[in-house]
Amino acid sequence: MKAVAALLDGIVLGLQYGLLGVGLTLIYGLAGVVNLAHGQIAIFGAIMASLLMGAGWAAVPAAIVGILAAAVVLLILDLTLMRAVYRQHGEHRILLGLLIMLGVGFIIDGYLNWQHPIEVLTLRIGGDPVPILGVNMRTGSLLASAITIVAGLALVMFFQLTTLGRGVRSVIQDEQGARLVGINPSSVRTFVFALSGVLAGLVAVTGAMTAPQASDFGVKLTTLALIVAVVGGLGSVSGAFLAGVLLGIVDRFASAYIGQFYTTVILLLCAAFMIVLRPSGLLGKST
Amino acid sequence: MSLLEVRGVSAGYAGEDVVHAVSFHVDPGEAITIIGSNGAGKSTLFRAIVSMLATTSGTTMFEDRDITKLPTHKISRLGLAYVPAERHLFPRMTVRENLLLGAFPARPDPAREEFVFEVFPRLAERRKQDAGTMSGGEQQMLAVARALMSQPKVLMLDEPTTGLAPRLAREAYGALARLRDAGLTLVVAEQQVPLALELASRGYVLENGRFELEGTSDELAGNPDVQRAYLGVA
Amino acid sequence: MNVVDEVLDDTSRNVAAGRRGGVVRAYLPIVVAAALVALVPLRYEDSRSMMGIITVGVLFACYGVAFNIIFGSTGQLFLCTGALAGIGGYGSALLADRSGFPLLLALAISTAISAVIAGILSWISVRRALDTIFIGIVTIAFGLSFQNFVLGKGDWTGGESGIRVATAKDSWLTGEVAPYYLFLGLLVVYLVVYRLLQRSRTGWAFRALRDDGLAAELSGVDVSRYRVLAGTLGGGMLGLAGGIYVFTQSRVSPSTFEFGNVDVSVLVMLAFGGIGSLLGPVVGAAVFTWLDEFLEALGYAQAKELIYGVVIVALFLGFRRGVVPTVTDLAAKLFRRRS
Repeated sequence: MKAVAALLDGIVLGLQYGLLGVGLTLIYGLAGVVNLAHGQIAIFGAIMASLLMGAGWAAVPAAIVGILAAAVVLLILDLTLMRAVYRQHGEHRILLGLLIMLGVGFIIDGYLNWQHPIEVLTLRIGGDPVPILGVNMRTGSLLASAITIVAGLALVMFFQLTTLGRGVRSVIQDEQGARLVGINPSSVRTFVFALSGVLAGLVAVTGAMTAPQASDFGVKLTTLALIVAVVGGLGSVSGAFLAGVLLGIVDRFASAYIGQFYTTVILLLCAAFMIVLRPSGLLGKST
Repeated sequence: MSLLEVRGVSAGYAGEDVVHAVSFHVDPGEAITIIGSNGAGKSTLFRAIVSMLATTSGTTMFEDRDITKLPTHKISRLGLAYVPAERHLFPRMTVRENLLLGAFPARPDPAREEFVFEVFPRLAERRKQDAGTMSGGEQQMLAVARALMSQPKVLMLDEPTTGLAPRLAREAYGALARLRDAGLTLVVAEQQVPLALELASRGYVLENGRFELEGTSDELAGNPDVQRAYLGVA
Repeated sequence: MNVVDEVLDDTSRNVAAGRRGGVVRAYLPIVVAAALVALVPLRYEDSRSMMGIITVGVLFACYGVAFNIIFGSTGQLFLCTGALAGIGGYGSALLADRSGFPLLLALAISTAISAVIAGILSWISVRRALDTIFIGIVTIAFGLSFQNFVLGKGDWTGGESGIRVATAKDSWLTGEVAPYYLFLGLLVVYLVVYRLLQRSRTGWAFRALRDDGLAAELSGVDVSRYRVLAGTLGGGMLGLAGGIYVFTQSRVSPSTFEFGNVDVSVLVMLAFGGIGSLLGPVVGAAVFTWLDEFLEALGYAQAKELIYGVVIVALFLGFRRGVVPTVTDLAAKLFRRRS
């Protein structure tokens, strides 16, 4: 019973982790930037939604604005700070991008902890728990998972079937080649940054359906996003989803059978071992 | 009026020019060739024309429009298609996906796709294959095919026979000849001179970053220096 | 060129700058800096809290020199400096209190353990040819794991509230002013070690492998050996400083060595002061210790993280070499113009 509960909870959590990792891995694959502010931006979106709800807004519009807020933050970053980063190439770009995003992460986390330290986003979804395989699953968890799955499918269809989606993949696979066929990598980057922001906001909002999202969660979310992306293979969208679900299951089993503190350690060690044993991750670069 | 006109273009790497004040032009419907050995500067010149490299001086005009400072993707959309020696294909996309992107930003046109498969029948057999898994020769064909998808006004090719066995090279040039006859303007840089001179009506000889000779294909083929250096005639 | 050099713009010039000149010119800055730092307590010796703060400042300068050896000299982005210092800290405390080891022996053993672990991290990075970001991720994983282990294994480490350290509790070590000068002494030793390293054949090898690891390897420099050496040395220095600190405080808790406290500060201080430069850690530590106090006094203590973030972004966007080398260059230009 405990095992089944852990498995189902793990899948629910894992889908969230997957979405978290996808946002980070997209930007890395496309722009070579390790977004160490990803979690903080996600929480920023959640807090904006929470503030709006506190001002009387209904949940759905507040959530949408929150998600858009996250997208706008990343959009602004792409159009401003990242310009300096894009002027570098290869490993130089990776390191500079990482360091600048680290700073941005501090800025956002610092701002939230300073100005809105007790703000929390909670989205209560009504209804009785639904029994699945004998385990009572809360409606919030189920809705969050459903939304995440739909988002994931939409992403896959976008990348495989639309011209813009193919354009994004082309820039990831050969930036120079993309230019030669008339694609402007800069525009694609801006688009993907905004998309990553939407995904980040979505994670925070769906997360709020299962547990309250506090303003200081940013660093933890970024750490998780990084672990998932690394295990899945930096740059691989399907890898991130797969890794997310697996790590979510590992998380819940570890939590249930070993203990909270060791859970984080185990997840971190998964990332570390993946890097040491198979740096390309589970699925490598396979967009 | 020339379709493509290069005036006094110089370009290079790390502050040193490799190409010095080079000028040439191509008229609509013409096929010209730029001959030169390794390191003469052919690739550098082409890269400078499509802004993959910054020019240190000179201007490039396309349809009477100054494209010297225009970014690569805009030049591509104007109708100047370039197939570099390194090809820059999208390795984890299928042949078909690569071709579809060739038409960017236009919608994929089935008629155009069929035309391209007609010119390169081998690609038709492999339309679901990932570009990265194909042989060198097939990749070369795909690179040219992809460039054709945008219905370019001028097609620039940098050593299209690199890594191709002689039979495949002749096949490729056969395809290029058909395109030329259909009215496509071609600029081909080559080390394999005989094939190039057969395809083109005019040519330039690039040595150490400068045009040392120019003339019709017949004139060049008959030139003793050219024969000695590039045609293997002692 | 090694990516660290490219991005952190010419920090190799900082390293190279240390190699010029005779002995006096080489060590004079250390003497001058030490003298200045020695004078500071005269102002604050009456306030125990201020003394505590500036002592921590000197401690961070020590951390900074160690990190300078690991990252500045050989480009290994170790994001676990807090954990390495923590091994020294918790290690010495437990060995001295629980296992009855004499203080110096406890310090020596835990320092050795930090050094060995850091060396292993370096060795793994070299063996698997890990890129800078991957080294960062692996070391963060190690650092955060250590943090979680400390929080979780309460029966050993006292969990979140930490443990009191009985050894040396009533000795001179826990006095008001003595720890400050103890750390100053340690800092001078560390700076001398750094300078010696710069000017030795090892330092030459460090510079070579930072500039271009592959070229260095081809010309006979044993890259792995030097990377491991730098890691081990830096790790040991961190462990020693952490261990001594614990005894001066008579207590240790997870927050003493956590990432947000140690790693972030060391990174910002060093980036500001100048990665690869001799006095960068000192200048960085001085400025940020002052800044922390300044913000507390103004009531903006909560905004510290935000400000650190702004500093990091500004530094890496514009001001990349750091204060010390920029100022030194400026001074050199001025003097050249006069003569």
